[in-house]
Amino acid sequence: MAMSRGWLQSRRGGFSLEVDWQVAQGEVLVLFGPSGAGKTTTLRAIAGLVRPEHGRVEIGGRTVYDSADGVWVPAHQRRVGYLTQRYHLFPHLTVARNIAYGAPKKSAIPRDERVGRLIELFRLDGLEQRRVWQLSGGEQQRVAFARALASEPELLLLDEPFASLDAELRRALREELRSMLATSPVPVLLVTHDKEEALALGHSALVFDRGRVIERGEPFQVLGQPGRGQVARMVGVENLFRLEIDSRNPADGTMICVGTSIRLEAPLGDAMPYEDSSMERRDPITIGIRSSDIILSKQEPVGISARNRLRGVVTDLQPHPPGFEVTVDCGVPLRAQVTGAALSEMGIEVGQDLWVVFKASSCFLVQEDAPADARDTT
Amino acid sequence: MTWPRAKDSGRSLPSIGNVFGTPATVLYLLFIGFPVLALLIRAAGQDGFLSSLSSDVALTALKLSLGTSIISMGFVLLIGTPFAYLLAKNTSIFLRALDSLVELPIVLPPVVAGVAMLMAFGRNGILGPPLAELGISLPFTSIAVIFAQVFVAAPFYIRSAKVGFQSVATEYEDISQTLGVSPWRTFWQLTLPLASPSILTGFALAWARALSEFGATIMFAGNFMGKTQTMPLAIMTAMETSLDAALALSVLLLCVSIVLLAGVGLLTRRHWKDRM
Repeated sequence: MAMSRGWLQSRRGGFSLEVDWQVAQGEVLVLFGPSGAGKTTTLRAIAGLVRPEHGRVEIGGRTVYDSADGVWVPAHQRRVGYLTQRYHLFPHLTVARNIAYGAPKKSAIPRDERVGRLIELFRLDGLEQRRVWQLSGGEQQRVAFARALASEPELLLLDEPFASLDAELRRALREELRSMLATSPVPVLLVTHDKEEALALGHSALVFDRGRVIERGEPFQVLGQPGRGQVARMVGVENLFRLEIDSRNPADGTMICVGTSIRLEAPLGDAMPYEDSSMERRDPITIGIRSSDIILSKQEPVGISARNRLRGVVTDLQPHPPGFEVTVDCGVPLRAQVTGAALSEMGIEVGQDLWVVFKASSCFLVQEDAPADARDTT
Repeated sequence: MTWPRAKDSGRSLPSIGNVFGTPATVLYLLFIGFPVLALLIRAAGQDGFLSSLSSDVALTALKLSLGTSIISMGFVLLIGTPFAYLLAKNTSIFLRALDSLVELPIVLPPVVAGVAMLMAFGRNGILGPPLAELGISLPFTSIAVIFAQVFVAAPFYIRSAKVGFQSVATEYEDISQTLGVSPWRTFWQLTLPLASPSILTGFALAWARALSEFGATIMFAGNFMGKTQTMPLAIMTAMETSLDAALALSVLLLCVSIVLLAGVGLLTRRHWKDRM
């Protein structure tokens, strides 16, 4: 089956957008980034609701926009499903008529049958004659999906489908969405600024910042252990240190990094120089460690494989659902994520001495883009 | 536990709404209701009420009023609806400026509107001579009555319809299009139904305004029975000769207005109002 892909370039009112994307059948591509980064504009341009100055959009192998050839297919002929944050179910129609709204009259399967199947598939039986505002959040989401799929789209565009919900409902609906997407082969572009959502649903991800794609790849790699400073700050990597390489150990694939009052063992990764002569260079480097990768211990851990063992004092304790975040000052503040049970069992409190433990492989290298990043940090 | 609301507890706190609102409401209802009641009582007390109602003057005026106002409202719908849609959806500076001008006829005294129309279309008006060459004379005809009604009534419709269209979030229309429904069909299937409560309200207001139109009509169209003498003009004329006839006409116009109001109230009852 053909890919859906494209590129867009637009400059309007001081905001410039430059993006290229592609998504295969049955895949979810996450557009991740802060609000105002151009994610929604990208979706709307793909749907044909706004027209970027330059670009090309292919949906299921069919070209619907090509600025070079002057091709422009209007939104209602593009066969994309578009879901907004608040679903925008039509309030003057019943559930059944909402779903039937865009169902083509001429299709292999008769309209009523198609709508009936979708109602069954999305477990909306018995709600057909309900008014849409009488539905729960989850039911509304299912109706929105059924309505979008009834028009037989070749690409689904989801614009922050959970943004207006509270955390609890969000988690539940995310699971629903995941199972819904699994049943449909339609490729999906999902806009979000929620890292969990991106990790749970995405097969691949584009990270947006100020109208540019600054990183792309598998969500876990790009967002879980972000290799770029900008992305790391965006997703909120809890521990980021600017250090210097003290020594390299190519045999183990590790290196020792030092700061003014910290010393870490980290994977060598890209820090391995091409030339032997530069082995001794004390290059500056940024290391990231996720708070969930850090172990806290009351006694000095001995006989343990983790390479980094630091001693420090608890300086802060904050609830951080689903657990707590403990800040331990080991020369530099290190933040660790622990569960409520661990917290009470260990009796952790501010002022306490603790050991902080993490594996060398939990440290990841973060590449700083000098010019853009200089702006970020000042 | 939850605290009982002030008004649930025995000692309810006096709110501003109760202290000032209640007497104000009573006073206002009396002020409006009493004259209306007085009109009905006086009309009911007279002997020839029914014969006055079915008099030639009354029926002719009623027919003219309904006929002209229906045609006027046709124009208002036809021109006002697309215009209101444009005003609601387009935010260009030009249209913003136009937006505030739309309401000019509402604040303009109708008599002034009548004079203005005479200056435009009257025999000595700017378009008078060229129209006369074509054999057309507008003043003092039924067409002039329609002109006057459209002039004063259209802004009520446009204003309300614009609010109606604005209340339909653009996302609805966007989604409709991505569902494969063309912009034109989206307007008919989605935008218009969703905006319909405001549109119908505006329609009723404008119609009522057209029916009650007096000042511009008498200036521009004159007061000829069967041709330009609408209900309000007939009432005015009757006042000079027979109070009874004027009363009967007034009650008739009152009834028409109430029917109109009630009809719109019924039509605009939408269970999904305020759910957009």
